[in-house]
Amino acid sequence: MGAYRADDDYDYLFKVVLIGDSGVGKSNLLSRFTRNEFSLESKSTIGVEFATRSIRVDDKVVKAQIWDTAGQERYRAITSAYYRGAVGALLVYDVTRHVTFENVERWLKELRDHTDASIVIMLVGNKADLRHLRAVSTEDATAFAEKENTFFMETSALESMNVENAFTEVLTQIHRVVSRKALEANDDPATLPKGQTINVGSKDDVSAVKKSGCCST
Amino acid sequence: MRNSNNTGEDRNKDASSLSTTLDSRFNQTLRNVQGTLYILKMHRLLKGRSFPGKVLITRRSEPLDQSVLYSPNTGRRYSDTDFEQGQQVEISTENELQNRSNTNASSSVSHATMGTETMSKEIQKYSAGARATDSARLMKFTKELSGVTVILEKLRELAWSGVPPYLRPTVWRLLLGYAPSNSDRREGILRRKRLEYLDCVAQYYDIPDRERTDEEINMLRQISVDCPRTVPDVSFFQQVEVQKSLERILYTWAIRHPASGYVQGINDLVTPFVVVFLSEHLEGSVDTWSMADLSPETISDVEADCYWCLSKLLDSMHDHYTFAQPGIQRLVFKLKEVVRRIDEPVSRHMEEQGLEFLQFAFRWFNCLLIREIPFHLVTRLWDTYLAEGDALPDFLVYIFASFLLTWSDQLRKLEFQEMVMYLQHLPTQKWSHVELEMVLSQAYMWHTMFNNSPSHLAG
Repeated sequence: MGAYRADDDYDYLFKVVLIGDSGVGKSNLLSRFTRNEFSLESKSTIGVEFATRSIRVDDKVVKAQIWDTAGQERYRAITSAYYRGAVGALLVYDVTRHVTFENVERWLKELRDHTDASIVIMLVGNKADLRHLRAVSTEDATAFAEKENTFFMETSALESMNVENAFTEVLTQIHRVVSRKALEANDDPATLPKGQTINVGSKDDVSAVKKSGCCST
Repeated sequence: MRNSNNTGEDRNKDASSLSTTLDSRFNQTLRNVQGTLYILKMHRLLKGRSFPGKVLITRRSEPLDQSVLYSPNTGRRYSDTDFEQGQQVEISTENELQNRSNTNASSSVSHATMGTETMSKEIQKYSAGARATDSARLMKFTKELSGVTVILEKLRELAWSGVPPYLRPTVWRLLLGYAPSNSDRREGILRRKRLEYLDCVAQYYDIPDRERTDEEINMLRQISVDCPRTVPDVSFFQQVEVQKSLERILYTWAIRHPASGYVQGINDLVTPFVVVFLSEHLEGSVDTWSMADLSPETISDVEADCYWCLSKLLDSMHDHYTFAQPGIQRLVFKLKEVVRRIDEPVSRHMEEQGLEFLQFAFRWFNCLLIREIPFHLVTRLWDTYLAEGDALPDFLVYIFASFLLTWSDQLRKLEFQEMVMYLQHLPTQKWSHVELEMVLSQAYMWHTMFNNSPSHLAG
């Protein structure tokens, strides 16, 4: 797991979005995961930015197509268009700025309004290296994640702590959803868990994506 | 950051004592100290800690625009090597210091009110250090600027192809309609506008948070998050005083323009004004500038000019930054149409790959290409922008089409993902004026063809 692979050699293509308040470190999480880089001089993201990386999950190669979005609330009208087709999301806050954690609830609503119910969401508390400045406790965030039924991890893009784990976990969970969906497709539809419709990231969708090279429209 | 800012008190200091020219050696020392402080800050941040992978802290030390480099007072052009030193400002020679102290006395010449006599002297100096072919253009500029009333149409025509750096502040103020074309009224109006800005700052910015609405607090927070990461690769913008100025300008603008308020990226749009209006007060390369060399009055005047010019610029794009940014969406759509008519194969390829113009061109329109080209070329690009005046939004479409199609051959070889990434990180790092002016000329040509005969390029 975690090895870099050639770009066109993959079994699944998963679209993942990075969301959260401005300045929480979304772009650096992305550059750390896709290029193993961290920049102290990064600029604000305008609209959306994009990067990819392939990793191995179980016996499959999974390519993550990650859309990094602008954090300012004003941009949501633009950026929410990019949620479409996303099967995973990292919802990032800054552990040193409590207000960014308070806004997580609104981001979650935003996400659930625009994406499929089966989307895998990971709450990410970034900048965990700034221990002396911490303003959000791990306990509070854990409790929140449990209540909202999301995954949770604290990361540091600077120290490269948990970044790999956070993305890998999201991709693994998406893979699980997809595999389950593929399995269930062969079964009696009546056996589907009630209230759940998994209509994203199915094997057919993914291969379609692979042919056209795009799933964003 | 906000709390430590005490502009009100600063402003009350005795004006005459502040306008006294500081010894330039002292200034140089300050500059060195600031440069060193920055390095120390980085050291402290990173000291004793090892980080995995690449941690990028190196600044791009590209040769800066000739424009900014030219020193009007000595006629001396700083050579490229001066700029390439980047952070190593402390190694400047005795000789250079000597030059600076000799010229310092006249460094406060206000070009806005420059008389013809001064102007022609400037030209002699300029042509002495510049290419001889520039002198004819310079004479034309001088002629246009020396009349009692500047004929803006003529000035636009001249400015379109680039403004001589030391005239840029004056020309920009005129082109934007901030300074009146009538020279008799100019000084008085600028003085009034600068005072008006001071009042605005006092009324909106220099107040305690409890007097702000939640929305205003949010906006101020957003601005203060963005100011430190504005043009972070140019070290000058890392100075706290510069960031405070940006914050005051942006917040005051946002409060006074509630239909849009602050939108990320507007911070980028102030930066060309900052470097151009400061070039009237600071010499040499932007990398060696220090706000500590300036009196609070000067800083306030420069801020005011930046504020009013930003306002004027954005007036012509009133719906670019309102909710959902319809103006930008409209222009992105137009760009797609124009590209389709000019270069059908690349347009079809992009479409087949499922590439949306919004995925790359949104930032181009939102930040007017500042993010896409080296910073030292931005002021030249803006000469053309400002010369276009109210026609700018439409013309942007052609500039961006021309910019995009610079990479037509490469784009046709790329698939969706590679194409998005390529377009979001275009290889312009080594660009000079030559490449930029090529883009502008091509844009001009297409604009003329297209506008005169809308169906000309169709089919």
